[in-house]
Amino acid sequence: MTAPQSPFYKAELAEQLVVEPLDAMTLMYQRRSGITHIVAEPVPEILAVMSGDVLDAAQVAARLALQFDFDDRDSEAIVATRLEELAMLGLVERVGA
Amino acid sequence: MHEFRVQVGPAAFRIGSAWKRPLDQLAELYCDYPNPEIPDYSVRLEAVGFLRRFVRPSVAINGDYMLPDAAPLPLKQALLAAEMAMNLQIALGWRRHLLLHASAVEKDGKALIMTGASGSGKSTLAAMLGHKGWRFMGDEFVLIDLVTGEAVPFPRMISLKNEAIGAMQASVLDGRFGPLMSGTPKGNVRHLVPPADAIARMAEPARPALLLFPSFGFESAVRDIGASEVFMRLTQASTNYVALGEAGFNTLTRFIKTVPARAIDYHDGQEAEALVGRLWSELA
Amino acid sequence: MDDSSDKPESSLNSVATRRRALMLGAVTASAIVSVRPALAQSAASVMNCEIPVPGPHGTGMNIDSYGKLVPRDTPGSFAATGQKFTGEQVKAALRGRSLPGTSYDQSQAYMNYIRRLQSGQSGFTCYASLQMSR
Repeated sequence: MTAPQSPFYKAELAEQLVVEPLDAMTLMYQRRSGITHIVAEPVPEILAVMSGDVLDAAQVAARLALQFDFDDRDSEAIVATRLEELAMLGLVERVGA
Repeated sequence: MHEFRVQVGPAAFRIGSAWKRPLDQLAELYCDYPNPEIPDYSVRLEAVGFLRRFVRPSVAINGDYMLPDAAPLPLKQALLAAEMAMNLQIALGWRRHLLLHASAVEKDGKALIMTGASGSGKSTLAAMLGHKGWRFMGDEFVLIDLVTGEAVPFPRMISLKNEAIGAMQASVLDGRFGPLMSGTPKGNVRHLVPPADAIARMAEPARPALLLFPSFGFESAVRDIGASEVFMRLTQASTNYVALGEAGFNTLTRFIKTVPARAIDYHDGQEAEALVGRLWSELA
Repeated sequence: MDDSSDKPESSLNSVATRRRALMLGAVTASAIVSVRPALAQSAASVMNCEIPVPGPHGTGMNIDSYGKLVPRDTPGSFAATGQKFTGEQVKAALRGRSLPGTSYDQSQAYMNYIRRLQSGQSGFTCYASLQMSR
């Protein structure tokens, strides 16, 4: 085993998602799976800043910080958890080490 | 096997039965409905085992679309079995519209749609309003057109339960009622033939104009509901939302973005009628 | 879908023009709900259903107090013959009554079995529909 390395992720392609912002929530219909996800902040923002790039949680948090104001205590940990959740649902893909 | 055919809204049914009597009852209740040439769905009321056709006879439901775990009903409740079987075909098989488990009435080409858990009073409210100047569109399913977004009626027999039976008998004096079935899994059930205009105009859609989530048995109140909650609740009130894929998503998002929604609490029919009237004039 | 520039998925190019506050939430607060097919809820209203205890997958087995299928001679377990309980009977048992024809402990064991049913097992759709109706 090598030292633990933070995982990298790639977001679902924009053309695979139909996005409908509502009130505090955003609807995301994923064309390839046919599943509708109802997501809260910061999920739509995470997917948007990832664009087509392969990034880890720290990089995603840094991109969010360029665009948004937020309390950055724990921000990397929060983003890391959200990315794992999104990976479970197939909205982002973990990219091999 | 005996057979009866009926068209309800856009759906055509063939109902086969091991017994003649339930079909005679259906034919009487549905006598003003069209008789389709080619049915969409076939359902069967079958005897549970050969002997059970005669000894404590029970009706097993069968059809094109079935769920596991379906339990037979006593022969005396055959009309309810037929209703359940027809509902099941629509709930599981319908793909031509987005299906909402809801009731609806129409006025001036606009539809009031009501949805909620069983016991919320949505069926009784629709039945009541359908006899008070609104056109009854259905008390179980509302079909939303995937292209136009319009609500398409499904005005099957009104299925009254428990207290609603007495209330409707008292207010609809010229109503045509089916036999009273007591002790069913839903309590007492009695069918009521929808008003003549509901049947005559059953091919006529209406534009959804107001969505209500009624709750019976509470202090009179009106509450706003957020769009995402409405969306979530409607996906749970639809048996084919997921199956319709992107067409279902587009139809439902258009619906929630264009149709105002409120939750209403009420104690009795009069209170509900007043609330509905007020919200209709304000929002629809 | 409109492409108005204040939508969250707008591109990085618009960064300089507008900074918006973002609610990151807590690590533990999941931010996603996925829509599942709503078969069960409507099934409750359109059919009369029943739950065999145990279903065909447990034929010949007993049920222990946790509701698990165990071999016939397991101490403290209850015999089960595949008896079918209606949705109404199970609903009443969820409110604290015993299933008909069972002792208190046996009913508890049967109800635990029913609670553990999984999709695809006989009775699952019925039980799911009961939980979702009032």
